[in-house]
Amino acid sequence: MNKCEITFGKMKWENPVTVASGTFGLEYAELFDLSQLGALTTKTITPEPKVGNEPQRIVETEAGLLNSIGLQNPGVDEFIKTYLPEYRKFDTNLIVSVSASSVNEFANLVKKLDTQLGIDAYEINISCPNVENEGIAFGTDPEIVFDLTKKLRAVTEKTLIIKLSPNVTSITDIAKHAESAGADGLALINTLYGMAVDVEIRKPKLHNIIGGYSGPAIKPVALQNVYKVAQAVHIPILAMGGISSVNDALEFIIAGATAVAVGTYNFVNPLGTLDIIEGINEYCISHNISYKNLIGSIQT
Amino acid sequence: MYFKKIPVLKIEFINDEYFVLRFRDKELTQNIKPGQFFQIKDPDPTFPLLPRPFSVYEVEDDRLSFLIKIVGESTNNLSLLEEGHIIQLLGPLGNGFPLVQNKKVLLASGGIGYAPMPYLEQKLKESRNEVIFYHGGRSSNDLFCYNVLNCTEDGSCGHAGLVTEYIEKCFDSITINVVYACGPEPMLKTIVQMCSERNIPVCVSLERVMACGVGVCCGCVIKIKENDSIVYKKVCKDGPVFDGAKVVWDE
Repeated sequence: MNKCEITFGKMKWENPVTVASGTFGLEYAELFDLSQLGALTTKTITPEPKVGNEPQRIVETEAGLLNSIGLQNPGVDEFIKTYLPEYRKFDTNLIVSVSASSVNEFANLVKKLDTQLGIDAYEINISCPNVENEGIAFGTDPEIVFDLTKKLRAVTEKTLIIKLSPNVTSITDIAKHAESAGADGLALINTLYGMAVDVEIRKPKLHNIIGGYSGPAIKPVALQNVYKVAQAVHIPILAMGGISSVNDALEFIIAGATAVAVGTYNFVNPLGTLDIIEGINEYCISHNISYKNLIGSIQT
Repeated sequence: MYFKKIPVLKIEFINDEYFVLRFRDKELTQNIKPGQFFQIKDPDPTFPLLPRPFSVYEVEDDRLSFLIKIVGESTNNLSLLEEGHIIQLLGPLGNGFPLVQNKKVLLASGGIGYAPMPYLEQKLKESRNEVIFYHGGRSSNDLFCYNVLNCTEDGSCGHAGLVTEYIEKCFDSITINVVYACGPEPMLKTIVQMCSERNIPVCVSLERVMACGVGVCCGCVIKIKENDSIVYKKVCKDGPVFDGAKVVWDE
């Protein structure tokens, strides 16, 4: 029996676990029934196809992964034609991650997707560190976040989740602006800026020099961001940042997250999400606490 | 594609640089194409974080093995495992080599590029191909089998010099229909060049740093010529085997 159902914006989730955008795809349907996840989150979709950044795009570091993929994706038209029908086959919520290079482009992209069946939420990626003039360019200015959220609120009734960057001075300020402009929820964190150098040739290991850092190393950073934002807003938080175990997921939930997303760990163990779903449920039973009461139950 | 945690059947050291990791599993061994690979990781230490991709070396009934060169922490950790230790495998992954029939084919490998060749050779022979096999290494440490034409750069065993020099001589004396190659990229580049001069189709198996191994993360892309443009293809899913003539080699 699953006692961990949640409401996230206008969505009902059977369990509080999804995947982080860009770390998961339909390829994994060969391994397990993706309907078992509380929600599916797509790779970020942009108005036009994106070829992505010049390789080298990934480097493993001491305790995580650096990437500079550059939002490689087929574009919204191809997504609607080829990928969306496949996603619709799974009986769970679908969160479509989107990015664009202007407020109007964002609005047109969401409008276009809103004509399609089977989408339950949009995750607004204003925090990708690997593309110029979009992504993070929006996510670091509270006023722009407010304007963008307001504009998107006007074009869709669906659950609107703003994905926040940790690479800012005050994440709570940005979170509050997204909330007051009508966001239904927040997703945090996106990757941290990171870099690695090959000392033999004295060159950066990533072609783009600087990339996004993810994995277990960033978990404490993500956790304090989630904790701070949870204190500052009333809308639900989808937490991510190095979650690799049930214990990791519980830390975020206790710190104030309503739901959690597994990212880099999908590459380590593609079935890890299922263990986390089961483990959260078992924790609630063994600790005799409802999931709803577990959220933000941290004693300070 | 399967994701399984299974015990190590056996570890056999070839020398201080190379070892063979053996497993036994009915499911995993069902439909493996030569040139496909598995993402392998010891789940016990958290770091190194990601699994590493290894070409399938040999498949026989329910036995599956990988030829591994110790190049860093992950491969060193794998070499130290004890029999019975539980290891996670994800695969088979990638496209594998396209097989021909009733042809005269040349297998060309260098160093650890030998790994996918024995299983490829077996499948090509089952399809009634005549197989010629050239392998090169820096020294005798990089040689694995006496039944192939071996070359070493230091002349410590087999023919002295680069394997590509002997392949060129082979092209000049025998008509080869298809070439299958795996090894260091300068070697592959030379072989592709020689093949294009002679109009011989050549399949190359490439290696890149990977994260997911299944086509999700887009981390392992290389440049491929497609029609009149250059596109990114994923080594893990679109490859690791590519038409050598279409690969845009790194500078």
